[in-house]
Amino acid sequence: MKKSLEIFLGILTAMGGFVEIGELVFSTDAGAKFGYSLLWVVLFGTIGIIVFCEMAGRIAAVKEQPVFNLIRERAGFNAGLVTLLAANIVNLLTCSAEIGGVALIWQLLSGWPYRPLILLALLFFLVVTWVFSFQWIERVFGLLGLLMVIYMLTAVYLRPDWSQVAAGFIPQVPQVTSPKDYLVFAYFAVALTSSIMLPYETYFYASGVIEDGWNPADITLNRIIVLIGFPLGSLLAVALVIIGATVFMPRHIEPQLPGAAALATSLVFGKIGVLIALGGMFFAFAGAAIETCLSSAYNLSQFFGWPWGKFRPPGTAARFNLSWIVVFLLSAIIIVTGIDPVSVVEYSIVFSVVILPFTYFPVVLIGGDEDVMGHFANGWLAKTLGWIYVVVVTLAALAAIPLMIVTHGGKG
Amino acid sequence: VKQDYLGLFHQVLDHEVVDANNIPCGMVDDLQLEGGPGGELRVTGLLIGPGVWSDRLPRLFCKLARLICGDDVKFVPWSEVLVITERVKLRSRAEDLGLDLAEKKASRLISRIPGA
Repeated sequence: MKKSLEIFLGILTAMGGFVEIGELVFSTDAGAKFGYSLLWVVLFGTIGIIVFCEMAGRIAAVKEQPVFNLIRERAGFNAGLVTLLAANIVNLLTCSAEIGGVALIWQLLSGWPYRPLILLALLFFLVVTWVFSFQWIERVFGLLGLLMVIYMLTAVYLRPDWSQVAAGFIPQVPQVTSPKDYLVFAYFAVALTSSIMLPYETYFYASGVIEDGWNPADITLNRIIVLIGFPLGSLLAVALVIIGATVFMPRHIEPQLPGAAALATSLVFGKIGVLIALGGMFFAFAGAAIETCLSSAYNLSQFFGWPWGKFRPPGTAARFNLSWIVVFLLSAIIIVTGIDPVSVVEYSIVFSVVILPFTYFPVVLIGGDEDVMGHFANGWLAKTLGWIYVVVVTLAALAAIPLMIVTHGGKG
Repeated sequence: VKQDYLGLFHQVLDHEVVDANNIPCGMVDDLQLEGGPGGELRVTGLLIGPGVWSDRLPRLFCKLARLICGDDVKFVPWSEVLVITERVKLRSRAEDLGLDLAEKKASRLISRIPGA
């Protein structure tokens, strides 16, 4: 009974915590620009995040080794340090964007000025992260993030052409008017993949496995959660693409503000739909803010060998706790300067692609090492998919920044 | 481990160090060796701390790292190593080897927060 409840909650929290501000913005915008023709990218990214989180979770459960332990061990100190710095800069940017997103939602709901709301959000995050245990953070924000299901219902009620939706899952390049649009399409394909496979998700997931005290007996639980929870979560991204394609594309609107997607729910559910959507977005963004911030502290602690974890009394993992407090403060400082959270999202998503190969390469190496993992080592499927994704994300990493420059951040 | 030898580079360097109570207390930032060409080469201990890992960086970054993180170096005699798996386990507690000083310093700050 206890195990079934754990599986049920694990699936729901994985689903509710799947979408964050970057995915929301890019999925809706991708639908508005290219209709359903980027849905296959959502599928591709979802398989990728399943492969790597399953692998990282399995390694953490069997060897109690989180991702940055592995990165330093396998990539060495210098390459590991570069990955650590890059990962934590991306985490900082993502956390800033999430805090900005939360302040924007509160502004939409209250009408209060934006900047004081950022400071209020900072206070909220500091108190919640300090007071809540890891399990409470995971469950409260994951489960209440399920309010985002309103987007799935909206997408269904909008009655899209389901045959066209299904056709979108076949890899394709749409017919566009100018050659430059192909580059914009490529930029969106890379950015959408990155928004689904954000590296912090793997760092956080593997650290969470250790926080939750999983062991080799929990390998099946790990598999069930990623194999069911993540695809369900990715249906939210699919719904956002459908909303972009059916609501914004015909009206030639580029929905780059996080609140734009919420407005689409009003077409079906009226004011209550918008309130539920904003509520879901608040819990999804807030959960992601805490996850990125904790992820930075996990990364630092694991790289330098400090005691870490919410499961330890704060005084016995002091550097870990100081780290996440500092990351929250820095994130709030970045966003309170007045930088547009959506621009911050774009940078964080593109720079995330660049560090994906450095993150996933050591994970595939260790996951497949029978000397280390014994009979828990990668099977043929995990091995094949793992290496395919390492190659693809390496190519995406090489293309990401040039594409961002050439397309002016997807604006053409 | 299948082989009957210890690969210092792959199995010890850059691995996590835990004390007798399994509390993380640093990484193996470097190893101290004794001996020379033609003679017996012995590992005498583990080197841990920012003063060690900063030396592995290019010169400019080394100075910057020392400015930010300090130049503390801790030596742990090889005789203190109890077992080597994915991590290097020591026989003694971190505090007995002086490996808990940075954590204690941070702990003083954290203890000022209500609920710590």
